[in-house]
Amino acid sequence: MSGNDINRRDFMKFMGLGGVGAATLSGCDMPTTITLEEGKEKVVAYLAPEEYAIPGIGVYFASTCQQCPSGCGVHGRIREGRLLKLEGNPKALNGRGLCQMGQASVQSHYNPDRIMQPMARKGGSLQPVSWEEAWQIMGEKVSGVDQGRSAWFTGTVSGHQSKLLDALNQAWGSKEHYVYEAVNNAVGEAVNEAVLGDAVPAYRLDKAKSILSFGADFLGTWMSPVHFSREYVKFRTGDRGVLVQVEPKMSLTGANADLWVAARPGTEGVVALGVANVLLTKHQVNGNSLTKAALDLIAEYNASKVTEISGVGGDSLVRIANYLKDNSPSLVLSGESANNHANGYQNAMAIMMLNVLLGNVGKTIEASNSMAFKDLKAKRGNSRALLDFAKAIDAGKYDVVFFMGANPVYTSPSHLGFADKLAKVPFKVALSMFLDETTLAADLVLPLSSPYEEWGTTVAPYQPKNAALSMSQPLMNPLSPETKSLGDILLSMLKHHGVAGYAGYDDYYSYLRAALAGMPASVKAGKSGDEFWSASVQRGLINAPSSPGSLKIKLGDIKQPGYQANSGFPMHLVPSTNQNMYDGRNANLSWLNEAPDQVSKVFWDSWAEVHPKTAAKLGVKEGDFVKIESDQGAIETQIYIHKGVHVDVIAVPIGRGHEEYGRYAKGVGVNPLKILSPAEDAESGELASYATRVKVTKTGHSADLSRLGGSERQVGRRLVSTVAASVFRRVEGA
Amino acid sequence: MFVSEKNLFKRPGKKAGQRSVNKSLVLLFALLTSVFFVGGAHAEVPNATPPKGTHSGEDVPQPIDFPHDIHADINGINCMYCHTYARRSKVAGIPPTSKCMGCHSIIATDKPRIQKLTEYWENNEPPEWNKVHDVPDYVHFTHEKHLQRFVFNNEGMDVANVSEVCAFCHGEVKEMTVAEKVKPLNMGFCVRCHEQNGGPSDCWKCHK
Repeated sequence: MSGNDINRRDFMKFMGLGGVGAATLSGCDMPTTITLEEGKEKVVAYLAPEEYAIPGIGVYFASTCQQCPSGCGVHGRIREGRLLKLEGNPKALNGRGLCQMGQASVQSHYNPDRIMQPMARKGGSLQPVSWEEAWQIMGEKVSGVDQGRSAWFTGTVSGHQSKLLDALNQAWGSKEHYVYEAVNNAVGEAVNEAVLGDAVPAYRLDKAKSILSFGADFLGTWMSPVHFSREYVKFRTGDRGVLVQVEPKMSLTGANADLWVAARPGTEGVVALGVANVLLTKHQVNGNSLTKAALDLIAEYNASKVTEISGVGGDSLVRIANYLKDNSPSLVLSGESANNHANGYQNAMAIMMLNVLLGNVGKTIEASNSMAFKDLKAKRGNSRALLDFAKAIDAGKYDVVFFMGANPVYTSPSHLGFADKLAKVPFKVALSMFLDETTLAADLVLPLSSPYEEWGTTVAPYQPKNAALSMSQPLMNPLSPETKSLGDILLSMLKHHGVAGYAGYDDYYSYLRAALAGMPASVKAGKSGDEFWSASVQRGLINAPSSPGSLKIKLGDIKQPGYQANSGFPMHLVPSTNQNMYDGRNANLSWLNEAPDQVSKVFWDSWAEVHPKTAAKLGVKEGDFVKIESDQGAIETQIYIHKGVHVDVIAVPIGRGHEEYGRYAKGVGVNPLKILSPAEDAESGELASYATRVKVTKTGHSADLSRLGGSERQVGRRLVSTVAASVFRRVEGA
Repeated sequence: MFVSEKNLFKRPGKKAGQRSVNKSLVLLFALLTSVFFVGGAHAEVPNATPPKGTHSGEDVPQPIDFPHDIHADINGINCMYCHTYARRSKVAGIPPTSKCMGCHSIIATDKPRIQKLTEYWENNEPPEWNKVHDVPDYVHFTHEKHLQRFVFNNEGMDVANVSEVCAFCHGEVKEMTVAEKVKPLNMGFCVRCHEQNGGPSDCWKCHK
């Protein structure tokens, strides 16, 4: 633009004025070879379309998202026989909402790395085979297996698929079904079961006026995040509820909290006792609901002792107690970072004690609706299954193992030596959509259809309201005719095994139709079998009769261990979970790789979060590579510095660092789960994934961190109005 | 004013009788207007200035040499009888094979082209046509809105003459066998027509 005075704004004005003449459009008549081509694309008409099928106009069908275990109902937009977009089913628990993982499940469906035909191990590597050959191999290897010498290792399963799986296991005389989820709430569930008699009660965020959450990232990954996000809106609107988050590394929920408190990892229970101490002494809360022993123990945890153990200041304890007392009813939650410790059960028990003390049980914690069909209920995953399974295969307990919906070779810590133990199993079958680490270790791979190509039913593990059975129906024709649904494969196996009662069904669809037609009249609400089927498929949901349960209160021992320092490995490793990679299953979806982390804004790579003070002590700046070393190994990744981390913590998100799993996942980032120390929660036997100590050293390399947004500050632009904390406290009186 | 059939279909609570009254009105009106406005071999499109510009298209081979002339000219079949989606959707759509077979299971079954079509039909696979008229993916063109403007909401326009409106962008297809691209369909062609006929001039109307 040299020698020309027109700037951008003038140019736009000029264009606006002159836009009427053809002169300014002369460029628009230029043919472009790429865009105005003839005869290069195919256009294929329908053969004999349904009445409603109009090219260019979308139609919507209901189905169920399977991208995480929450089981959200979806509506898929279909155009020209192709699935284009998913939204939440307004009638389902998640309402109109669907999280980014669900949105990206379309990419899982269309993924170029999907397995499109069966594969069998021949001469050391997996080779494509026909289904005929696959069944033949199955017949040879599986049919002769002795009773009890086979097992299933799966992710969360529910509905009629789970029922068929049970029937198959029973026919084989094997009860062995390991249900594993790397991201789980198993310790919390164990405490709920012990105290309340209900492993998954209903958490009424909408009824609470204050929430104290110990690492429960209910807006991100905890149990049913989309449902909780909707309840959270109710919690925050009107008479605005107060949210306090206590965790070692700021999660999405923590970033939304009114008060965010960093406690030393593993001392959450001590903080809970400290808060109870303030409630009992300063606020004179009635302690009748607790035993004498519990009250005596709480009395020991005065502010100075709590601060010494947990690093949480006495003023923070008072502020938390004030919030809880002034905003009643309250709700206290325990999540991953509190539960997954060697003392996780004790942490969760102390946290539950606060609910009992504050009288929340029955108010903001209600009994779940127990499903009438017990055999359709979700089998919730935990990490003890992984440890038990590793022991069993190490002892040579199984001749045949089936894998589905879990990737233990990737998610298991290296101290388990899982891959080596797995090699001892003579015959491994993987039912999978992708060649992940576990599938590649299998001897026979059966290609699964995507959740949007198959029939099925799902029961969400979290059922706070009317219990519901969520339907899955094919939203489009399978991309490959060689893929089969889990239901179809199970049914074929049952028929092959000659199990009585299944011979009459041609496929899983006909089985489901018969199963629904056979449901009791109370479910069908007076409809005939066909009417009921149509209504179920149309709504995407079946509201099953449920009976509201009841809760007892029987608090266990709330004794807490002291804090153990470790001079060799002074820092804590937090393998954090985010609503993005989740447990690593989403690493092959480029949308989610491209979507920045909600807190650090890093994408397409791993990173390690540290506090500015820690960074200064280590002498590192953003983008520097550090070596994070535990007693089990080391990983190297780049530093991201922010204040939402405890000073003794280095947080590395899980989900990346795949050795396999397709073109988008392979070789990107690091996997912190590999360097976890062998530690279990003593009470529940769960893997204590937050209990690893590490030492961090500078490597000397540095590179730009791939991160959205270059600055943490607004640089005076006032994009978001802020007020100093001191002014806020004076005005709001906290 | 004409009522689009799409609206007739979509309006809730519309009784069947009412619809037929409207339809007969439409037909009557169409008949009247055709008397006044239609004359000679080429009917005119009222309230419209056809876009100018020509293009010399390539010969695009098709799996079946579909004769547009026999259908639209000699037998006088309305374009929208086969391209039925044009008035309801952004795309005009290639007619489904079932539509072809609706007539051709009886008509002209001895012709080699029809035998080839029947073969497709019996194999349960539609022919793969080669696209002749295409706009880039960043251009949002909708047939529906153009037909509303020039046909259904165009006073004095006879639906029977819709081929004259189609010809704005597709040329005299009824004189062709397989379609051929004879209009440039580039942005200058679109914009000049929009200026002359009062079409929207916002960028985002087409580039969204």
